[in-house]
Amino acid sequence: MKRKCLLLAIAALTAFGCSFAQNRKALKINEVMVQNESSIVDEYGNRGAWIELYNSNFGPLEISSVYLTNDSTNKTLYPVPLGDERTKMGKRQMVIFFADADATKGTFHTSFTLEPGKDNWVGIYDADGLTLIDEVTIPASLPAGASYACVIDADGNETWEVRDGSTPTLYITPGGENTIRDTNRKVEDFAHYDPNGFGMAVMAMGIVFSALLLLCIAFKIISKIGATVSRQNKAKAQSKSESTAVTAKDVEHDSGEEIAAICMALYQHLNAHDTESTVLTINKVKRAYSPWNSKIYNLRQLPH
Amino acid sequence: MNDFLQGNLQRFWELTGFANCEIGNFVMLAVGLFFIWLAIKKNFEPMLLVPIGFGILIGNVPFNTTAGLEIGIYEEGSVLNILYDGVARGWYPPLIFLGIGAMTDFSALIANPKLMLIGAAAQFGIFGAYMVALAIGFAPDQAGAIAIIGGADGPTAIFLSSKLAPNLMGAIAVSAYSYMALVPVIQPPIMRLLTTKNERLIKMKPARAVSQNEKIIFPIVGMLLTCFVVPSGLPLLGMLFFGNLLRECGVTSRLAKTASNALTDIVTILLGLTVGCSTQASHFLTSQTIFIFFLGFMAFIIASTSGVLFVKLFNLVLPKAKKINPLIGNAGVSAVPMSARISNNLGLEYDPSNYLLMHAMGPNVAGVIGSAVAAGVLLGFLA
Repeated sequence: MKRKCLLLAIAALTAFGCSFAQNRKALKINEVMVQNESSIVDEYGNRGAWIELYNSNFGPLEISSVYLTNDSTNKTLYPVPLGDERTKMGKRQMVIFFADADATKGTFHTSFTLEPGKDNWVGIYDADGLTLIDEVTIPASLPAGASYACVIDADGNETWEVRDGSTPTLYITPGGENTIRDTNRKVEDFAHYDPNGFGMAVMAMGIVFSALLLLCIAFKIISKIGATVSRQNKAKAQSKSESTAVTAKDVEHDSGEEIAAICMALYQHLNAHDTESTVLTINKVKRAYSPWNSKIYNLRQLPH
Repeated sequence: MNDFLQGNLQRFWELTGFANCEIGNFVMLAVGLFFIWLAIKKNFEPMLLVPIGFGILIGNVPFNTTAGLEIGIYEEGSVLNILYDGVARGWYPPLIFLGIGAMTDFSALIANPKLMLIGAAAQFGIFGAYMVALAIGFAPDQAGAIAIIGGADGPTAIFLSSKLAPNLMGAIAVSAYSYMALVPVIQPPIMRLLTTKNERLIKMKPARAVSQNEKIIFPIVGMLLTCFVVPSGLPLLGMLFFGNLLRECGVTSRLAKTASNALTDIVTILLGLTVGCSTQASHFLTSQTIFIFFLGFMAFIIASTSGVLFVKLFNLVLPKAKKINPLIGNAGVSAVPMSARISNNLGLEYDPSNYLLMHAMGPNVAGVIGSAVAAGVLLGFLA
C-alpha cells in the first residue's frame, strides 16, 4: 500500500512537472504591421496585415492550440490548428501570421484582421483559453507601411517602436531579429570597463570562494548533525546491550585506521581460511598507471 | 588509352598526401609522435596522450580539401566531423565529468570541509592567467577560454573553449593536457620555493571516518548549492555530482561502474582522438598557439603558487593542532590525482612517516568543483 501511494505521488509530481514543461510564456509578439504597402506577401501573393511571433526560448516551442485574438472579450478567436509541422518553432525563431480574416487559407492566416486608423489590441492566450501569454496595443497613429516592433535595449528592457525602414536601425524585419547584433555586448563591456581583468578576477574569485564556502559551511553543519545522530544511536545501542561499549565522545574521534583495524580483525576472525582465491594466467597483468582507472578513486587509502 | 591512364594517375597523385603536404603538416606529425612517445615511454597521461597524439597524426595527414571527399574533421558530414560534434557542442566533457564523479571519493573533503577553500584559492591561476592574456592582447572571451587551462582540468577547458573561443579549442585542449602531464615537473620546485622546512614537516591529524549518509548528502547538497550560485556550471557540476551520487547511494552500483569505466573510456577515446584531429596545421600552427602555451604555463604556476600561499595564510588563523601542511596547497589545481600524489611524495621526501595523500585529495577534488564553478562564472560573464 505504501509503495502504491509512493508511485502515485511520483506520478502526480511528474504530471505537475509536465504541466510546467508545457508553459508557453516564451512566446512573444515581436512585430506587427497593420497596413502592408510594400512588405512581404503571403503564399497567395496578397499583401495584408501581419503579426510576427517569436520563440524567445533556447529550445523548440510547439504553438499549436494557442489562441490569437484581437478581441479581449473573445479570447479564443483564432486557435492555431493542430497537426501542422510548421507550428513547432525552433529556438529563437519567428513565425508570421497574416491577419486577413480568412482562416481557410491555411494555418498562418487568422480569422480576424487589423483595422487601420484605430488602436488594435492583439493578444495570445494559452491552450486553456484563459492564460494570457503576451499582448500589445498597436497605436492608431501607426503610419501606413510602417510596423510596430519590440526591441530590447542595452539593459534588457523591452520597448516598442514604430519602424518605417527610413534608417538602418528602423528596418522592418518580418521573420528576422528586430535588433541585429554583430558583437557580444558582454565581451565588449568587459573589454571597455575592465581592460586589465582585475574586476573579473575579484568578482569571479569572490563567486568561486562563496560557492565553496557555502558548501564548506553546509558540510560543517551536516557533519555536526551526523555526529550528534551517531552519538544518539550509539547511546541507544549501548543502553540496549548494557555492554561496556566505547563512550560517545570516543565515537566522534574514531579514526579511519581504528575502524579499518576492527573490520580487519572481524574479517579474519569470521572468515579465517588458508587458501586465498587465485587466478592463474599466462597473460601479463601489469597495468600502466592512469588517473582514469586509478584505484585511488575506488579505495579509501590510508597509510600503513 | 595512354592519355587516359596518365590522366587518372595524375588525378590520383593530386589526391595523395605527398602532393598536398606542407611544412606545417610535418611539424604537427612530429608533435603527434612526440605525444605518443611521451605517453608510451615516459608514461605521461597515456590514456589521454595516446588518443590525442594519434589524433594529431590523423588530423595532419594532408589531403586535397577541394576534392569534396568529406574526410576532414572540419568538413560537414564527414565521420570525423560527426565524432567531433561532442567536442564542438560541448557534450563530451559533461560525460567525462559523470565518470569522474562516479570514480571520486569525496570523503577527504567531507571529513575536513575547510580544505574546500584551498581548491577555491587555486582557481586564482585561472583569473591571473586571464589578466595576463588580456595584457597580451586577447579579447576577454578568448582570454577566459585560455585562462581556464589554469584549472588543470581538460574536460572543463574543452567545454569552456567550445563555448567562448571555438577557434582556439585545439590549442587550449592540447595545452591543458600537456601541462597536466607535466604537473610532476612544474609543481615541486614551486612548492619547495614557497615553503620552509618546518612547514613541510607539519603532520596533519588523520581524517575522521565519514558516514554513508554524509556521502549521499554531499552530491545532492553540493549540486544544489553550487548550481544555485552558478547555474551556468550546471552541465559540468550536475554531471559530476550525479556520478558521485550513483557511486555513493549504494543501489546503483551497476550504473556507477558503467559511468566510471566503460562510458568514461569510450568518451575519453572519442574526446582525445577528435581533439587531436582538430589540431590541423592550418588551424593550429599560429602565433596564438605559442601565446596559449605560454599562458597555460603561467596559469599552472599561478594556480600552484596561490594554493600553497593560501594554506600558509590560512595557517596564521588556525590553532596549532589544526595546522595544514602547505605541501597540499598545490593540490588545489584539479589535476586529479596527480597533484595530490606530488604532495604526498614531497611530504615523504622530508618525513618518511608523513603521508599527505588523503589530506591532499580534499583540495584536489575541491579543485575539480572549483574549476567547474570558475568555468560557469566565465561562461555566465562572457558567453
